[in-house]
Amino acid sequence: MSEKKHSARGLTRREMLKSTGLVLGGLAVPGVLESCLTSTSSTPSGTIKIGFISPVTGPASGFGEPDGYALKLARDAFQKGLSIGGTNYSVEIVNRDGQSTPSVGAQMANDLIQTQKVDLMLATSTPETVNPVSDACEAANVPCISTVVPWEAWYLGRGAKPGQPSPFKWTFHYCFGVEQFFLAYTHLWPQVTTNKKVGVMWPNDADGNAIRGALGPLLKGAGYTIVDPGPYEDGTNDYTAQIQKFIQQDCQIFNTFPIPPDFATFWRQAAQQGYTKHVKIGQIAKTGLFPSQVTALGAIGNGLASGVYWAPTWPYKSSLTGMTSKQIGDGYESASGKQWNQQLGASLSLFDVAAAVLSASGAPKDKTKVRDAMKTLKVETPVGNLDWSKPASLAGAAVPNVVSTPIIGGQWKSGASKWPIDFVICENAADANVPVASQLKPYSAG
Amino acid sequence: MTVANAVLQGVFLGAFYAVLACGLSIMFGVMRIINLAHGDVAVLGAYIVYVIVERTGVPAFVAFAVALPVMVLLGYVLQLTVLERSLKSGILTPLLATFGLSIVIQNLLQLVFSPDVRSLGGSAGSVTTASWQVTSGLSVSALGLLVLVVAVLLFAALQLFLSKTRAGWIMRATAEDADAAELAGIDSRSVYARATAIAVGIAALGGLFLGIRSVFDPVSGPTQLIFAFEAVVIGGMGSLWGTLLGGIALGVAQTVGAQIHPQFAVMAGHLLFLAVLIVRFGGGRLVLRTA
Repeated sequence: MSEKKHSARGLTRREMLKSTGLVLGGLAVPGVLESCLTSTSSTPSGTIKIGFISPVTGPASGFGEPDGYALKLARDAFQKGLSIGGTNYSVEIVNRDGQSTPSVGAQMANDLIQTQKVDLMLATSTPETVNPVSDACEAANVPCISTVVPWEAWYLGRGAKPGQPSPFKWTFHYCFGVEQFFLAYTHLWPQVTTNKKVGVMWPNDADGNAIRGALGPLLKGAGYTIVDPGPYEDGTNDYTAQIQKFIQQDCQIFNTFPIPPDFATFWRQAAQQGYTKHVKIGQIAKTGLFPSQVTALGAIGNGLASGVYWAPTWPYKSSLTGMTSKQIGDGYESASGKQWNQQLGASLSLFDVAAAVLSASGAPKDKTKVRDAMKTLKVETPVGNLDWSKPASLAGAAVPNVVSTPIIGGQWKSGASKWPIDFVICENAADANVPVASQLKPYSAG
Repeated sequence: MTVANAVLQGVFLGAFYAVLACGLSIMFGVMRIINLAHGDVAVLGAYIVYVIVERTGVPAFVAFAVALPVMVLLGYVLQLTVLERSLKSGILTPLLATFGLSIVIQNLLQLVFSPDVRSLGGSAGSVTTASWQVTSGLSVSALGLLVLVVAVLLFAALQLFLSKTRAGWIMRATAEDADAAELAGIDSRSVYARATAIAVGIAALGGLFLGIRSVFDPVSGPTQLIFAFEAVVIGGMGSLWGTLLGGIALGVAQTVGAQIHPQFAVMAGHLLFLAVLIVRFGGGRLVLRTA
């Protein structure tokens, strides 16, 4: 309705003026016309645009919380621009909220690709946000780097098949996988004497079923008895059936990969019905990533075991900003007044990778060169030294484009720092450079 | 014994659903509004209790006593400013208005409180983890019992209010036929505002229990709304005691379903809901009464 009506000659007066202006401007400054014709939001050739998509609102918004600070650090570091092959490029980061929803993630990615014309895409946190962004980039031939989705969920979840060549050419990923959980658990659990019976609450969702299929057999192979009452639906409000089973079987180890509110409900009922008295190790994943989730449980949260993919005690630096992990954590705490959280290091690491690959490509505006540079990139980030020439492996075959990163096991403890509860690292099987602070203590709060 | 325990825990769970559903039932019964923001209003109540607990350090139950009048007032204002206008333009507008309200509340909460999860469990004292072990397989949790007792008292009080007080008669008359009530000199606007005020106050009670049972964040509302809505439908829409029984039936269906298989827990509740829908509105009569 509001579309401009075209005159008989096919041009309105306004459009006529606009194109005349373009032609005149083009005559005055050769080259401008060309860039105007090829791109709608005319990016000067000396500017690199980086898209960044993360969940800032919606159920996974806890992940997006430190992104504001990570973005600020990255923008400050890029302020002077990037000097690549003798040319100084200015760098613009365009961030978008994936709203924890796959359809929104895809829409934001397409917007960044088509109207913003980004040269490189970054995405982080949960399959719901990352996978659709990766898919959109794969389809549009835009290089994309992502993290914080267990890599099996990113690789297999997007339709790749084990034993077949990878279908992905433009999308790259680095994250922990099932193997890292297995390493962490089998080095953490022997620190406390138990009957090696593991009660598991693995839900009927993408993560729960992946863990049941992959982690379950590995743990059995390591001598653990898995007591699995079966998959339950996310959002269940009563767990009596599972709790009774765990009590009957005396499961002294408990493991779960739930959405956060379900664990809170379960754990309180487990305390009411007396199961927590049986528990010596309460190993939680997917929830308990952030201090607020553990603090919210009250007293029964103290002593739960979990895993981290970054912490301020990690010995790695952000190569883009030059900051150590400790400086990043301290900086966030003083800037926001909130306790560090592990996503901070992971979000910032994306920009380290981005800066490194743009430099390594020699031609940051050439998407094919950027993609090719990714395949052999080595870079230091807060989460570790990443090396795409040494990809992760699946069933004995290398998985190109994917680098596996560690999960380090530890325990939430009160009184460990100035915060009400803090994460204490208890093992470092997946990365021996990360300092171990303490031994795992039996759970005793319930 | 495990089945007996499952039924018992189901009754406790159902009482929680009934408290959540109560306000929904009142608003539907009196105004024929399905309040899609009801879950979010409950979460808002939980946040207000949380703020009071954080600022003053009083136990959650004391903080609720302070939060309740705030929520009741909020409900009154909400009706006069938002819902009243939407009521005038057909059956769909209130639905859309409350849907919009739901989004507004979620985003406001996110803005003010950040996406962090919160809980009232820590500040409610030892009641949240205390229990009595009746036999080895049967335990009565203090919190479950408390919710059940509160739910029964709440519904009894509402029943008394509706059947014994003048304000209750007026509300029932307006619910039956607002136009006729107007002819008899009743100001339906103020009756509606009072109904919403009560509903929002009770939603806050549901939010309090939610916060003690589990954790909440700005987007926790919609998940709870589904169960509350099912409880209202199972109990017969707009019927008060029906809502209590509907909630309990839903809770028991879920816990007994979980005994068959954990995956069947939520499904069993949904199946009961569908069965009630088919029996009640069967034969192609899937339409709401309009008056």
